[in-house]
Amino acid sequence: MRIEEHPILSFENEKRKKIKFIFDGKEYEGLEGDTIASALHAAGVKVLGHHYANNRPRGFYCAIGNCSSCLMTVDGEPNVRICVEELKEGMVVETQKGKGELK
Amino acid sequence: MTKTASVVIIGGGISGCAIAYNLAKKGVKDVVVVERSYLTSGATGRCGAGIRTQWGTERNCKLAKFSVDFFENANEILGYKRDIEFKQGGYLIVAATEKEVEQFKKNVELQNSLGIPSKYLSPQEAKEIVPHLDETKILGATFCELDGHLNPFHTTEAFAQAAERLGVEIMTFTEVVGIDVEGDKIKGVHTTKGYISTPIVVNAAGGYCRQIGDMVNVDIPTYSERHQILVTEPVEPMQEPMVMGFSLNIYTQQVPHGSFLIGRGDPTEPKDLRITSSWQFMEKMAKTACDLLPALGKLAVVRQWAGLYNMTADAQPIYGPVKEVEGFYLAVGFSGHGFMLGPATGQIMAEIILGEPTTIDVSDLDKDRFARGELVLEPSVV
Repeated sequence: MRIEEHPILSFENEKRKKIKFIFDGKEYEGLEGDTIASALHAAGVKVLGHHYANNRPRGFYCAIGNCSSCLMTVDGEPNVRICVEELKEGMVVETQKGKGELK
Repeated sequence: MTKTASVVIIGGGISGCAIAYNLAKKGVKDVVVVERSYLTSGATGRCGAGIRTQWGTERNCKLAKFSVDFFENANEILGYKRDIEFKQGGYLIVAATEKEVEQFKKNVELQNSLGIPSKYLSPQEAKEIVPHLDETKILGATFCELDGHLNPFHTTEAFAQAAERLGVEIMTFTEVVGIDVEGDKIKGVHTTKGYISTPIVVNAAGGYCRQIGDMVNVDIPTYSERHQILVTEPVEPMQEPMVMGFSLNIYTQQVPHGSFLIGRGDPTEPKDLRITSSWQFMEKMAKTACDLLPALGKLAVVRQWAGLYNMTADAQPIYGPVKEVEGFYLAVGFSGHGFMLGPATGQIMAEIILGEPTTIDVSDLDKDRFARGELVLEPSVV
Protein backbone atom coordinates (compact mmCIF):
# COMPACT_ATOMS: atom_id res chain seq x y z
CA MET A 1 0.00 0.00 0.00
CA ARG A 2 1.37 3.38 -1.01
CA ILE A 3 -0.24 6.81 -1.10
CA GLU A 4 -0.71 7.60 -4.78
CA GLU A 5 -2.92 10.65 -4.42
CA HIS A 6 -2.76 13.35 -1.84
CA PRO A 7 -4.76 16.63 -1.46
CA ILE A 8 -1.63 18.75 -1.10
CA LEU A 9 1.42 16.76 -2.11
CA SER A 10 1.97 15.76 -5.70
CA PHE A 11 3.75 12.54 -6.66
CA GLU A 12 3.35 13.01 -10.43
CA ASN A 13 6.88 14.09 -11.22
CA GLU A 14 8.38 11.52 -8.93
CA LYS A 15 10.10 8.71 -10.81
CA ARG A 16 11.76 6.52 -8.24
CA LYS A 17 14.03 3.69 -9.32
CA LYS A 18 12.85 0.19 -8.44
CA ILE A 19 15.02 -1.79 -6.05
CA LYS A 20 14.94 -5.57 -5.79
CA PHE A 21 15.63 -7.39 -2.55
CA ILE A 22 15.07 -10.79 -0.95
CA PHE A 23 12.78 -11.19 2.04
CA ASP A 24 12.56 -14.61 3.68
CA GLY A 25 13.71 -16.27 0.47
CA LYS A 26 11.28 -14.49 -1.85
CA GLU A 27 12.06 -11.62 -4.19
CA TYR A 28 10.42 -8.27 -3.41
CA GLU A 29 10.54 -4.84 -4.96
CA GLY A 30 10.80 -1.46 -3.30
CA LEU A 31 11.51 2.06 -4.45
CA GLU A 32 14.61 4.19 -4.18
CA GLY A 33 14.45 6.11 -0.89
CA ASP A 34 12.49 3.39 0.90
CA THR A 35 13.56 2.01 4.22
CA ILE A 36 13.41 -1.77 4.39
CA ALA A 37 10.29 -1.46 6.53
CA SER A 38 8.51 0.95 4.19
CA ALA A 39 9.18 -1.35 1.24
CA LEU A 40 7.82 -4.33 3.18
CA HIS A 41 4.81 -2.34 4.36
CA ALA A 42 4.07 -1.28 0.79
CA ALA A 43 4.28 -4.93 -0.23
CA GLY A 44 1.71 -5.85 2.40
CA VAL A 45 4.04 -7.43 4.96
CA LYS A 46 2.53 -6.51 8.32
CA VAL A 47 4.14 -8.97 10.73
CA LEU A 48 7.79 -8.03 11.19
CA GLY A 49 8.76 -10.33 14.02
CA HIS A 50 7.63 -12.13 17.13
CA HIS A 51 8.22 -11.41 20.78
CA TYR A 52 11.24 -13.41 21.93
CA ALA A 53 9.47 -14.82 25.00
CA ASN A 54 5.72 -15.10 24.33
CA ASN A 55 5.94 -15.32 20.53
CA ARG A 56 3.17 -12.78 19.84
CA PRO A 57 3.47 -11.05 16.46
CA ARG A 58 5.02 -7.59 16.35
CA GLY A 59 4.24 -5.05 13.64
CA PHE A 60 5.44 -1.71 12.29
CA TYR A 61 5.34 0.47 15.39
CA CYS A 62 7.54 3.47 16.21
CA ALA A 63 9.12 3.78 12.75
CA ILE A 64 12.01 5.84 14.14
CA GLY A 65 14.41 3.17 15.35
CA ASN A 66 13.50 3.17 19.03
CA CYS A 67 11.06 0.40 19.82
CA SER A 68 12.75 -2.85 18.65
CA SER A 69 9.50 -4.04 17.10
CA CYS A 70 11.00 -4.42 13.63
CA LEU A 71 14.39 -6.02 14.30
CA MET A 72 15.47 -8.29 11.46
CA THR A 73 18.59 -9.99 10.20
CA VAL A 74 19.94 -8.11 7.19
CA ASP A 75 22.79 -9.56 5.13
CA GLY A 76 23.61 -11.80 8.11
CA GLU A 77 23.67 -9.02 10.68
CA PRO A 78 21.12 -9.49 13.49
CA ASN A 79 18.95 -6.86 15.18
CA VAL A 80 18.88 -4.37 12.31
CA ARG A 81 16.20 -1.70 12.83
CA ILE A 82 14.64 -2.01 9.42
CA CYS A 83 12.45 1.08 9.87
CA VAL A 84 15.53 3.29 9.69
CA GLU A 85 17.73 1.16 7.42
CA GLU A 86 17.77 2.30 3.80
CA LEU A 87 16.84 -0.32 1.24
CA LYS A 88 19.63 -1.31 -1.11
CA GLU A 89 19.70 -3.48 -4.26
CA GLY A 90 20.10 -7.18 -3.53
CA MET A 91 19.72 -6.99 0.24
CA VAL A 92 18.91 -10.30 1.94
CA VAL A 93 16.40 -9.64 4.72
CA GLU A 94 15.19 -12.32 7.11
CA THR A 95 12.71 -12.26 9.97
CA GLN A 96 14.41 -13.07 13.19
CA LYS A 97 13.67 -15.81 15.68
CA GLY A 98 14.53 -15.10 19.30
CA LYS A 99 17.12 -12.46 20.02
CA GLY A 100 19.17 -12.80 16.86
CA GLU A 101 22.36 -14.71 16.38
CA LEU A 102 25.68 -12.96 16.10
CA LYS A 103 28.00 -14.82 13.73
CA MET B 1 11.97 8.72 67.23
CA THR B 2 14.72 7.05 69.21
CA LYS B 3 15.47 3.38 69.17
CA THR B 4 18.12 1.03 70.41
CA ALA B 5 20.15 -1.44 68.37
CA SER B 6 22.93 -3.85 69.20
CA VAL B 7 24.62 -3.25 65.83
CA VAL B 8 24.02 -0.59 63.20
CA ILE B 9 25.35 -1.44 59.74
CA ILE B 10 25.77 1.50 57.40
CA GLY B 11 25.29 0.51 53.77
CA GLY B 12 22.65 -1.62 52.06
CA GLY B 13 24.84 -3.30 49.48
CA ILE B 14 25.95 -6.92 49.39
CA SER B 15 28.41 -6.41 52.28
CA GLY B 16 25.97 -4.73 54.63
CA CYS B 17 23.17 -7.20 53.95
CA ALA B 18 25.48 -10.22 54.23
CA ILE B 19 26.92 -8.99 57.53
CA ALA B 20 23.41 -8.38 58.90
CA TYR B 21 22.29 -11.86 57.84
CA ASN B 22 25.29 -13.56 59.44
CA LEU B 23 24.96 -11.63 62.71
CA ALA B 24 21.27 -12.50 62.93
CA LYS B 25 21.95 -16.14 62.08
CA LYS B 26 24.37 -16.24 65.00
CA GLY B 27 21.59 -15.04 67.25
CA VAL B 28 22.32 -11.31 67.51
CA LYS B 29 19.09 -9.39 68.13
CA ASP B 30 18.29 -5.82 67.12
CA VAL B 31 20.56 -5.51 64.09
CA VAL B 32 19.72 -2.48 61.95
CA VAL B 33 20.89 -1.79 58.40
CA VAL B 34 20.78 1.87 57.36
CA GLU B 35 20.83 2.60 53.64
CA ARG B 36 20.80 6.13 52.23
CA SER B 37 18.88 5.10 49.08
CA TYR B 38 17.53 1.70 48.00
CA LEU B 39 19.29 -1.64 48.49
CA THR B 40 22.05 -2.13 45.86
CA SER B 41 21.93 1.57 44.93
CA GLY B 42 25.70 1.90 45.29
CA ALA B 43 28.49 -0.21 43.84
CA THR B 44 26.65 -3.53 44.30
CA GLY B 45 23.98 -2.64 41.77
CA ARG B 46 26.50 -1.07 39.42
CA CYS B 47 29.14 -3.79 39.29
CA GLY B 48 29.97 -6.34 36.61
CA ALA B 49 28.76 -9.04 39.04
CA GLY B 50 31.37 -11.62 38.15
CA ILE B 51 32.91 -14.03 40.61
CA ARG B 52 36.27 -15.63 40.09
CA THR B 53 38.50 -17.88 42.11
CA GLN B 54 41.49 -17.06 39.92
CA TRP B 55 43.43 -14.72 42.17
CA GLY B 56 47.10 -14.05 42.75
CA THR B 57 47.19 -14.18 46.55
CA GLU B 58 46.34 -17.14 48.72
CA ARG B 59 43.82 -15.26 50.80
CA ASN B 60 41.88 -13.83 47.88
CA CYS B 61 41.70 -17.35 46.43
CA LYS B 62 40.31 -18.63 49.73
CA LEU B 63 37.83 -15.77 50.17
CA ALA B 64 36.59 -16.24 46.60
CA LYS B 65 36.39 -20.03 46.90
CA PHE B 66 34.35 -19.63 50.08
CA SER B 67 32.01 -17.29 48.22
CA VAL B 68 31.66 -19.56 45.16
CA ASP B 69 30.78 -22.50 47.41
CA PHE B 70 28.16 -20.31 49.07
CA PHE B 71 26.69 -18.98 45.81
CA GLU B 72 26.33 -22.54 44.47
CA ASN B 73 23.74 -23.19 47.17
CA ALA B 74 22.66 -19.65 48.01
CA ASN B 75 19.01 -20.03 46.90
CA GLU B 76 18.57 -22.92 49.35
CA ILE B 77 20.71 -21.52 52.18
CA LEU B 78 18.97 -18.16 52.11
CA GLY B 79 15.53 -19.62 51.38
CA TYR B 80 15.17 -17.40 48.34
CA LYS B 81 12.04 -18.11 46.31
CA ARG B 82 13.38 -16.54 43.13
CA ASP B 83 16.83 -17.16 41.64
CA ILE B 84 20.14 -15.39 42.15
CA GLU B 85 20.98 -16.51 38.58
CA PHE B 86 24.39 -17.97 39.34
CA LYS B 87 25.83 -19.09 36.00
CA GLN B 88 29.16 -20.88 36.19
CA GLY B 89 30.45 -20.37 32.69
CA GLY B 90 33.98 -19.86 33.92
CA TYR B 91 36.39 -16.97 33.60
CA LEU B 92 38.79 -16.81 30.69
CA ILE B 93 41.58 -14.46 31.74
CA VAL B 94 43.78 -13.56 28.79
CA ALA B 95 47.48 -12.75 28.96
CA ALA B 96 48.74 -10.16 26.49
CA THR B 97 52.26 -9.56 27.82
CA GLU B 98 55.15 -11.86 28.74
CA LYS B 99 54.91 -10.59 32.29
CA GLU B 100 51.30 -11.70 32.48
CA VAL B 101 52.15 -15.12 31.06
CA GLU B 102 54.68 -15.57 33.85
CA GLN B 103 52.32 -14.26 36.54
CA PHE B 104 49.41 -16.39 35.31
CA LYS B 105 51.48 -19.57 35.40
CA LYS B 106 52.37 -18.77 39.02
CA ASN B 107 48.73 -17.96 39.79
CA VAL B 108 47.54 -21.31 38.38
CA GLU B 109 50.08 -23.15 40.53
CA LEU B 110 48.88 -21.29 43.63
CA GLN B 111 45.23 -21.79 42.75
CA ASN B 112 45.68 -25.52 42.08
CA SER B 113 47.44 -25.94 45.43
CA LEU B 114 44.29 -24.48 47.07
CA GLY B 115 41.90 -26.85 45.28
CA ILE B 116 40.91 -24.40 42.55
CA PRO B 117 40.84 -26.27 39.20
CA SER B 118 42.19 -23.50 36.97
CA LYS B 119 44.41 -24.29 34.00
CA TYR B 120 46.78 -22.49 31.68
CA LEU B 121 45.75 -22.44 28.00
CA SER B 122 47.37 -21.62 24.67
CA PRO B 123 45.70 -18.95 22.50
CA GLN B 124 44.25 -21.77 20.33
CA GLU B 125 42.77 -23.55 23.35
CA ALA B 126 41.31 -20.25 24.55
CA LYS B 127 39.63 -19.80 21.18
CA GLU B 128 37.98 -23.18 21.52
CA ILE B 129 36.23 -21.89 24.65
CA VAL B 130 35.39 -18.47 23.17
CA PRO B 131 35.18 -18.92 19.38
CA HIS B 132 34.76 -15.20 18.62
CA LEU B 133 38.03 -14.37 20.37
CA ASP B 134 40.84 -12.95 18.20
CA GLU B 135 43.54 -15.31 19.42
CA THR B 136 46.31 -13.33 17.70
CA LYS B 137 45.84 -10.58 20.31
CA ILE B 138 46.84 -12.83 23.22
CA LEU B 139 49.83 -14.90 24.31
CA GLY B 140 47.90 -17.29 26.52
CA ALA B 141 45.06 -17.51 28.98
CA THR B 142 43.86 -19.15 32.15
CA PHE B 143 40.46 -20.70 32.64
CA CYS B 144 38.53 -21.90 35.66
CA GLU B 145 35.13 -23.49 35.33
CA LEU B 146 34.08 -22.64 38.91
CA ASP B 147 33.94 -18.95 38.08
CA GLY B 148 30.95 -17.15 36.69
CA HIS B 149 28.51 -14.41 37.38
CA LEU B 150 25.22 -13.79 39.10
CA ASN B 151 22.54 -11.18 39.51
CA PRO B 152 23.62 -8.61 42.12
CA PHE B 153 20.07 -7.35 42.72
CA HIS B 154 18.64 -10.79 43.41
CA THR B 155 21.65 -11.82 45.48
CA THR B 156 21.43 -8.78 47.75
CA GLU B 157 17.66 -9.17 47.99
CA ALA B 158 18.14 -12.81 48.99
CA PHE B 159 20.47 -11.81 51.85
CA ALA B 160 18.19 -8.94 52.88
CA GLN B 161 15.03 -11.05 52.97
CA ALA B 162 16.76 -13.82 54.90
CA ALA B 163 18.09 -11.23 57.36
CA GLU B 164 14.65 -9.69 57.82
CA ARG B 165 13.13 -13.09 58.51
CA LEU B 166 15.71 -13.43 61.29
CA GLY B 167 14.61 -10.10 62.76
CA VAL B 168 17.00 -7.62 61.15
CA GLU B 169 15.50 -4.19 60.48
CA ILE B 170 16.47 -2.66 57.15
CA MET B 171 15.91 1.08 56.86
CA THR B 172 16.13 2.28 53.27
CA PHE B 173 16.06 5.93 52.21
CA THR B 174 17.61 6.73 55.56
CA GLU B 175 20.86 8.67 55.64
CA VAL B 176 23.38 8.67 58.46
CA VAL B 177 24.12 12.29 59.32
CA GLY B 178 26.28 11.86 62.40
CA ILE B 179 27.75 9.33 64.82
CA ASP B 180 28.05 9.97 68.56
CA VAL B 181 31.28 8.94 70.26
CA GLU B 182 31.83 9.28 74.01
CA GLY B 183 35.20 8.55 75.55
CA ASP B 184 36.37 6.75 72.36
CA LYS B 185 33.30 4.52 72.38
CA ILE B 186 30.45 4.43 69.89
CA LYS B 187 27.20 5.65 71.46
CA GLY B 188 24.73 6.05 68.64
CA VAL B 189 23.89 7.04 65.10
CA HIS B 190 21.94 10.09 63.96
CA THR B 191 19.90 9.44 60.83
CA THR B 192 17.40 11.40 58.79
CA LYS B 193 14.76 9.18 60.41
CA GLY B 194 15.82 9.59 64.02
CA TYR B 195 18.47 8.53 66.51
CA ILE B 196 19.60 4.95 67.02
CA SER B 197 21.43 4.21 70.24
CA THR B 198 24.06 1.49 69.65
CA PRO B 199 27.47 0.36 70.91
CA ILE B 200 28.56 -0.97 67.49
CA VAL B 201 28.67 0.61 64.04
CA VAL B 202 29.80 -1.29 60.94
CA ASN B 203 30.97 0.87 58.09
CA ALA B 204 29.98 -0.94 54.87
CA ALA B 205 29.36 2.24 52.92
CA GLY B 206 31.53 1.29 49.92
CA GLY B 207 32.52 4.33 47.89
CA TYR B 208 31.28 6.64 50.64
CA CYS B 209 33.04 4.95 53.57
CA ARG B 210 35.45 7.84 54.17
CA GLN B 211 32.56 10.22 54.78
CA ILE B 212 31.33 7.83 57.47
CA GLY B 213 34.88 7.60 58.87
CA ASP B 214 35.04 11.39 59.08
CA MET B 215 32.00 11.34 61.38
CA VAL B 216 34.08 9.58 64.04
CA ASN B 217 37.38 11.24 63.08
CA VAL B 218 38.85 8.03 61.69
CA ASP B 219 40.81 8.55 58.51
CA ILE B 220 40.22 5.54 56.28
CA PRO B 221 43.09 4.95 53.83
CA THR B 222 41.00 4.29 50.73
CA TYR B 223 39.92 6.39 47.80
CA SER B 224 36.95 6.10 45.48
CA GLU B 225 37.34 5.83 41.76
CA ARG B 226 34.74 5.86 39.02
CA HIS B 227 34.51 2.73 36.88
CA GLN B 228 32.17 2.52 33.93
CA ILE B 229 30.29 -0.27 32.18
CA LEU B 230 28.35 -0.39 28.95
CA VAL B 231 25.63 -2.81 27.98
CA THR B 232 24.64 -3.98 24.49
CA GLU B 233 21.41 -5.15 22.99
CA PRO B 234 20.67 -8.83 23.66
CA VAL B 235 21.54 -11.65 21.27
CA GLU B 236 21.23 -15.42 21.57
CA PRO B 237 23.77 -16.99 24.00
CA MET B 238 27.22 -17.15 22.37
CA GLN B 239 29.74 -16.56 25.16
CA GLU B 240 29.79 -18.80 28.20
CA PRO B 241 32.66 -17.40 30.28
CA MET B 242 33.55 -13.94 31.44
CA VAL B 243 36.46 -12.79 29.28
CA MET B 244 38.93 -10.66 31.16
CA GLY B 245 42.29 -9.06 30.47
CA PHE B 246 44.36 -6.99 32.91
CA SER B 247 46.83 -5.32 30.56
CA LEU B 248 44.19 -5.18 27.80
CA ASN B 249 41.93 -3.61 30.43
CA ILE B 250 38.62 -5.29 29.72
CA TYR B 251 36.11 -7.61 31.29
CA THR B 252 33.02 -8.75 29.48
CA GLN B 253 30.28 -11.25 30.09
CA GLN B 254 27.06 -12.14 28.35
CA VAL B 255 24.31 -12.10 30.96
CA PRO B 256 21.48 -14.70 30.83
CA HIS B 257 19.22 -12.12 29.18
CA GLY B 258 21.63 -12.00 26.21
CA SER B 259 23.18 -8.57 26.67
CA PHE B 260 26.93 -8.10 26.93
CA LEU B 261 28.25 -6.11 29.88
CA ILE B 262 31.65 -4.61 29.07
CA GLY B 263 33.78 -2.69 31.53
CA ARG B 264 37.30 -1.50 32.29
CA GLY B 265 39.29 0.63 34.67
CA ASP B 266 40.97 3.93 33.88
CA PRO B 267 44.02 5.06 35.87
CA THR B 268 43.47 8.66 34.79
CA GLU B 269 40.07 8.89 36.48
CA PRO B 270 39.73 11.70 39.02
CA LYS B 271 39.61 10.41 42.60
CA ASP B 272 36.24 11.73 43.63
CA LEU B 273 32.66 10.60 44.04
CA ARG B 274 31.29 11.32 40.58
CA ILE B 275 29.30 8.58 38.90
CA THR B 276 28.48 10.34 35.65
CA SER B 277 29.05 8.66 32.28
CA SER B 278 31.72 9.80 29.84
CA TRP B 279 31.96 9.52 26.05
CA GLN B 280 35.68 8.85 26.37
CA PHE B 281 34.89 5.58 28.11
CA MET B 282 32.49 4.53 25.38
CA GLU B 283 35.02 5.23 22.65
CA LYS B 284 37.96 3.46 24.28
CA MET B 285 35.92 0.57 25.64
CA ALA B 286 34.29 -0.18 22.29
CA LYS B 287 37.69 -0.20 20.59
CA THR B 288 39.21 -2.58 23.14
CA ALA B 289 36.21 -4.89 22.94
CA CYS B 290 36.20 -4.97 19.14
CA ASP B 291 39.96 -5.62 18.99
CA LEU B 292 39.73 -8.66 21.25
CA LEU B 293 36.24 -9.90 20.32
CA PRO B 294 35.58 -8.52 16.81
CA ALA B 295 32.07 -9.97 16.47
CA LEU B 296 30.84 -7.65 19.23
CA GLY B 297 31.35 -4.73 16.84
CA LYS B 298 28.01 -5.55 15.24
CA LEU B 299 26.11 -5.01 18.49
CA ALA B 300 24.44 -1.74 19.36
CA VAL B 301 25.19 -0.24 22.76
CA VAL B 302 22.01 0.33 24.73
CA ARG B 303 23.39 2.45 27.57
CA GLN B 304 26.25 2.92 29.99
CA TRP B 305 26.60 3.70 33.68
CA ALA B 306 29.20 4.17 36.37
CA GLY B 307 29.86 3.14 39.96
CA LEU B 308 32.58 3.59 42.54
CA TYR B 309 35.46 1.26 43.31
CA ASN B 310 36.67 1.88 46.84
CA MET B 311 40.40 1.35 46.36
CA THR B 312 43.16 0.49 48.78
CA ALA B 313 46.88 0.66 48.07
CA ASP B 314 47.15 -3.14 47.83
CA ALA B 315 43.75 -3.79 46.18
CA GLN B 316 42.59 -5.90 49.14
CA PRO B 317 39.79 -5.03 51.55
CA ILE B 318 40.02 -3.62 55.06
CA TYR B 319 38.29 -5.90 57.58
CA GLY B 320 37.86 -5.40 61.29
CA PRO B 321 37.85 -2.92 64.18
CA VAL B 322 39.86 0.29 64.43
CA LYS B 323 42.12 1.27 67.33
CA GLU B 324 40.84 4.85 67.60
CA VAL B 325 37.17 4.18 68.37
CA GLU B 326 35.81 1.17 70.23
CA GLY B 327 32.83 -0.36 68.48
CA PHE B 328 33.64 1.00 65.02
CA TYR B 329 34.20 -1.75 62.43
CA LEU B 330 35.25 -1.54 58.80
CA ALA B 331 34.28 -3.68 55.81
CA VAL B 332 35.57 -1.36 53.10
CA GLY B 333 38.19 -0.92 50.38
CA PHE B 334 37.12 -3.87 48.26
CA SER B 335 38.86 -2.40 45.23
CA GLY B 336 36.31 -3.68 42.76
CA HIS B 337 35.65 -7.15 44.13
CA GLY B 338 33.31 -6.48 47.03
CA PHE B 339 30.33 -8.10 45.37
CA MET B 340 32.00 -11.43 44.73
CA LEU B 341 33.47 -11.54 48.25
CA GLY B 342 30.07 -10.74 49.81
CA PRO B 343 29.38 -14.13 51.43
CA ALA B 344 32.91 -14.28 52.90
CA THR B 345 32.63 -10.67 54.11
CA GLY B 346 29.34 -11.42 55.88
CA GLN B 347 30.67 -14.52 57.60
CA ILE B 348 34.04 -13.06 58.62
CA MET B 349 32.75 -9.69 59.81
CA ALA B 350 30.11 -11.38 61.97
CA GLU B 351 32.82 -13.57 63.49
CA ILE B 352 35.10 -10.58 64.14
CA ILE B 353 32.30 -8.56 65.77
CA LEU B 354 31.38 -11.49 68.03
CA GLY B 355 35.01 -12.17 68.91
CA GLU B 356 34.95 -15.65 67.38
CA PRO B 357 37.85 -17.21 65.47
CA THR B 358 37.47 -16.33 61.78
CA THR B 359 36.84 -18.91 59.05
CA ILE B 360 39.64 -17.36 56.99
CA ASP B 361 42.39 -15.40 58.74
CA VAL B 362 42.13 -11.73 57.83
CA SER B 363 43.90 -10.28 60.86
CA ASP B 364 46.55 -8.63 58.68
CA LEU B 365 43.89 -6.89 56.57
CA ASP B 366 43.43 -4.21 59.22
CA LYS B 367 43.32 -0.49 58.50
CA ASP B 368 46.76 0.21 59.94
CA ARG B 369 48.67 -2.14 57.61
CA PHE B 370 49.22 0.78 55.24
CA ALA B 371 50.74 2.96 57.96
CA ARG B 372 52.97 0.04 58.94
CA GLY B 373 53.91 -0.49 55.30
CA GLU B 374 52.74 -4.11 55.41
CA LEU B 375 50.83 -4.29 52.17
CA VAL B 376 49.46 -7.59 50.83
CA LEU B 377 49.62 -6.79 47.14
CA GLU B 378 47.14 -8.50 44.78
CA PRO B 379 48.64 -8.63 41.28
CA SER B 380 45.50 -9.65 39.38
CA VAL B 381 43.05 -6.76 39.28
CA VAL B 382 41.27 -4.72 36.61
